[in-house]
Amino acid sequence: MKLKNIFKYLMVAFLAIHLLGSCASDTEAEPKFDKTPVERLNEQKSELNTALLSSEFGWKAVYFTDDTQLGGYTHLFKFSADGKVQMASDFDDDTKTYQSTYNIVLGSTVSLLFDTYNRIHLLSDSNSFPPGTALQGKGYLGDFQFLYYGRENEDILFKSNRLVRDIRFVKATAQDWADLPKNLDMEQNVIGGDNRPLFRLLETNDGKATHIYEFSFNAATRFAISKSIDAGSSDVIDMGVGYNPTGIVVSPAVEVGGQKLTNFVYNDTDGSFKATGTNGVSATIKYSSKPLVLTDEYKLLLPGSANNVYAYIYNYTKPEPANSALFLTLLANAEALAGTGVMIQRIQPWFNNPDGTSYIEYRFAAVSNPAVVIARRYHYFTIQSNATNKTVTLVPGVWKSTATAAAPVIATPSFLKALDDEFMNPQGLYFAKTPVTGYTAYTFTSTTTPFRMVAYSFQ
Amino acid sequence: MKILKQYKAILFVAGVLTFAACAHEDQPGESQLDYSQPQKTALDNWITTNYLVPYNINAQYKWNQNTVDNNRFLFPPMISSVQPALDVVKQIWLDSYSKIGGADFVKKIAPREIVLVGGVNSNTNGTRTLGIADSGQRITLFEVDYLDKTNRFNVTEFIHTIQHEYVHILNQNKPFDEQAWQKISPGDYTGTWHLEELEDSRNLGFVTNYARNNIIEDFAETASTILTSSKAEYAMLLASITEESGRQKLKQKEALVVQYYKDAFNIDFYALRDQAEKNTNNVVNN
Repeated sequence: MKLKNIFKYLMVAFLAIHLLGSCASDTEAEPKFDKTPVERLNEQKSELNTALLSSEFGWKAVYFTDDTQLGGYTHLFKFSADGKVQMASDFDDDTKTYQSTYNIVLGSTVSLLFDTYNRIHLLSDSNSFPPGTALQGKGYLGDFQFLYYGRENEDILFKSNRLVRDIRFVKATAQDWADLPKNLDMEQNVIGGDNRPLFRLLETNDGKATHIYEFSFNAATRFAISKSIDAGSSDVIDMGVGYNPTGIVVSPAVEVGGQKLTNFVYNDTDGSFKATGTNGVSATIKYSSKPLVLTDEYKLLLPGSANNVYAYIYNYTKPEPANSALFLTLLANAEALAGTGVMIQRIQPWFNNPDGTSYIEYRFAAVSNPAVVIARRYHYFTIQSNATNKTVTLVPGVWKSTATAAAPVIATPSFLKALDDEFMNPQGLYFAKTPVTGYTAYTFTSTTTPFRMVAYSFQ
Repeated sequence: MKILKQYKAILFVAGVLTFAACAHEDQPGESQLDYSQPQKTALDNWITTNYLVPYNINAQYKWNQNTVDNNRFLFPPMISSVQPALDVVKQIWLDSYSKIGGADFVKKIAPREIVLVGGVNSNTNGTRTLGIADSGQRITLFEVDYLDKTNRFNVTEFIHTIQHEYVHILNQNKPFDEQAWQKISPGDYTGTWHLEELEDSRNLGFVTNYARNNIIEDFAETASTILTSSKAEYAMLLASITEESGRQKLKQKEALVVQYYKDAFNIDFYALRDQAEKNTNNVVNN
């Protein structure tokens, strides 16, 4: 056809396509929400603000900053409409309430920000970190900007800004504010006391079988580590610990029999903490005066063994942490009663001497000249054992001031009696190797009291 | 011609139809963003009166994660620490320059924002960062909660940062004679200045270890150290240097600094130093 007609038809065709195509709106995407992002953000902001202001006595949160190495810090908040917040925490002994400001800001999502200094910022101070840890420059890994993740019933859910840890705000009661100092009393119960038995364990019961773990707690980090005592097992249960007036709450939860246990209730009679599940499932932190693992080392002391000698040495074994508080107190009392300026340089049990005797030798020195022995006292004993309990009993004999057959018997030194009675306990003693650095040591532990002495092994 | 007319007509019609067809698009309405101003407290009003209005400098004390290093564990200051700290900064830095350089001096050349952080900014090598300047626009001051106005050493350390960073800003406005400076102690600059001993640095003609980082820092450290010391204190510093060559080098650098302030800004550097000392005494004793 003619060129000008071709052009004419092409023009019309172009126009038609242009008209049809330009106003077609089906290239737009289906909106997922019926509101714009700004509308939704504003809604979230006001939803969070209303929620924070809605609790008469404010909110309580047990903040676990990092439950792989630290425990929980309880905070109480009372928000007011003028942007101010009243806050208290159990981070340290100061449980008073302080005022600062807060704001609802947009971070990676709508978040609650404590934008001027208050108790929560104690967890985020690069200059203040738990002693003995690698957290130098990292404080307690705390955050003070919390991302809003919605509600669960009445609770408000947050995640911390940087480490993204869960925090749950629970409605506080007036009692919570009054009872905050009790958290620190409970801390002392978790740490334990000198009057409690020496061994501490975590016992889990899944309804069918129990398992025992050796329990140790570090108050600086509020973190507890429990190691399984089952032979060949490397199972470890880690817990960050938060305090409350009636016990502790832990994170991560202890998993027993498929159930997650977090709340342990304290029993002051025996100092135990127990978490109870259903169908007989439970986990208990408790004390024992029996070592968790019994060993056969007591046999080293029996007749027929070598002439084995061990000793408490004032400038060698005294600093060892395994020496219990009761032993150190009895030692100090004995020294005080012995006379002014007198100290006990050694407590040295000798087993199976060539002449058939066994005795504990107490060596005395002047505090001003501790290397020189000024007096000795020997308490002779015979030894019995109990293979079932794996204990030995020292049956007391005579006292002498010189260790020869001809030497005369002397009266019981009254100042040594309390200390010496622990060794001569008719219920018996445990004898076990104890880890020390640079030498070999064993402990003599009472079966009935929290008495334990570390002794250097001469062989 | 008839064809052209026809085409023009078709185009015209097409254009009108296109406009009409697409005229149903939504028009923007009211903004959904909340731009209402937050309530101003007495502290905010004080900042407005003393910083914002006279110098167009903003002082931020409320935490904003976008203005700080999120990898560090820092925290905002206590509300009660803010005004004392800003007062110290104003009296010893802003007022001294205004008095000697003229009321408009700081208005024209200054950082636009001062950010206050309450806690210590610890570095992995065991040192602390006392302040940071971000390309002349923002100065961040740390340890605001630990500022003790009655302790002269504490106050001086706090002010040293601002004085140091402000010298950088002045340099960016009008450069100093780098060629002349370079000739004074050419071989002794080092990137590991933090491992050096102060006595050794002084003997080589550097007022602090940090001055050995490069000539820009050297200039700023020299100027700010003189500005934050009294006349007697700086004389003692010079007298304590055991190497005579070191002392001479420092004196040469001092002369260059004084020359720079005179030539670039018509400021008597020693008068500025005296004014700063007077204001520091005022702060510490009141």
